[in-house]
Amino acid sequence: MSTLIARAEAHSPAVGFGERLAENQRRVFQIAYSVLGNSADAEDVAQEAFLRAYQKFDSLREAEKFRAWVNRIVFRLALNRKRGYRRRLERDTAWQSMESPAMVDGAKEAEQQVMLDRLRKEIERLPAKLRSVLLLSLVEEMDAADVGVVLGIPAGTVRSRVHTARKLLLEVMQ
Amino acid sequence: MKNACERWKDQLRETALTGARTPQFAEHLQTCANCSAELRDLEARRARLDTLLPLVAQGAEPPADFRARVLAAAEAAGKRRRVRRWQAWTLAGAAATAAIVLVVGAVLHRGTTGKIQPEGLAAAQKLAEWRAPSDSLLATPGQEILRTTPKLGESYLNVPMKAVEEE
Repeated sequence: MSTLIARAEAHSPAVGFGERLAENQRRVFQIAYSVLGNSADAEDVAQEAFLRAYQKFDSLREAEKFRAWVNRIVFRLALNRKRGYRRRLERDTAWQSMESPAMVDGAKEAEQQVMLDRLRKEIERLPAKLRSVLLLSLVEEMDAADVGVVLGIPAGTVRSRVHTARKLLLEVMQ
Repeated sequence: MKNACERWKDQLRETALTGARTPQFAEHLQTCANCSAELRDLEARRARLDTLLPLVAQGAEPPADFRARVLAAAEAAGKRRRVRRWQAWTLAGAAATAAIVLVVGAVLHRGTTGKIQPEGLAAAQKLAEWRAPSDSLLATPGQEILRTTPKLGESYLNVPMKAVEEE
C-alpha cells in the first residue's frame, strides 16, 4: 500500500515541478520581457507559460524537454499578447500610447533609456523573421541551437539572421 | 562617402561588426580618410549597440517571489482540476447507477407482467362477454348470418339448393 502511495506521489505534478521552475524562470521571464518590453506583462506571460507546463508536467518531466517546451510556449504567448496590444492600440486611437518601459521599471539612466526605447522601435521595424531570431538570441541563456528549436530553424540560419539583423540596426541606430 | 567608396559600403559594415577586413579593404582604408572616419563611426555605433542590445531582454529580472507565486497558482489550478475531475466521475457514477436501476426495474417489471394471473383472466373474460341491456334493441336479422365466417367458395347467404329445385 505504501509503495502504491509513494508511486502515486512520484507521479504528482507537484514533485519535480518546483525544481524545473527554478531552473527555467529567469530565461522564461527574459524571453517574455524581450518581446513585451515591460516587467508586469512579462511576469504575467511567464506565469501563464509555467501554469501550462504544470498541467502537462507528466510528459515534460525530462529537463531538456521541459526547457524546450517552455521556451516555445512563452515566446508564443508573448507574441500573442503583443498582437493584442497592437490591435487595441489601433482601435483605441493614437493618443493612447503604450506604457513606456521606463515608467514601469524606472531607475535607469535617462539617456540610455531613450536609446533603448529607440532601439526597441528599430527592432520592431525589422522583418518578422529577423526580429524573432534577434529577440530570442538576446536572452542570456539562449544559444543558436535553443533559438533554432523554438523557431524550428537550423542553428546556422539563426546565426546568419542575427548577423543580418545587427547589420540593419547598425545602419539605422545613428 | 565619395562615389568611389560606395563599393566598400557593405565591407565597412562587415568590418565594424566582425572586425574582419580583406587585404584590399585594409589597403583602401590606409589611403581613404573618409572610409576610415566612417569605420570609426560605425565601430562606435556597434559598441553602443552591444551595450544596449542585451538590455532589451535582460533589462529586468523576475520578482523574488515569482517562484512562490507560480507554485501557489499551479497548486490552486491543480486542486480545481482535481475537484472538477472528481465531480465528473461522481456524475458519471450516478448516471451509470441510475441507468442500471432503470434496466433492472424494466426487466423485473416485464417478468411480472408476462404472466397473466387466473383472477385477471376470469375478469377479462367476464368483461368480454358483457353486453349492454340495449344491445338486443340494436340487433339486426343479418347479425346471425354474419356471425360465422363462410369457408372458401361459400357465401354469407347460405341458401339451401333444395328449396330452389322445389320452385
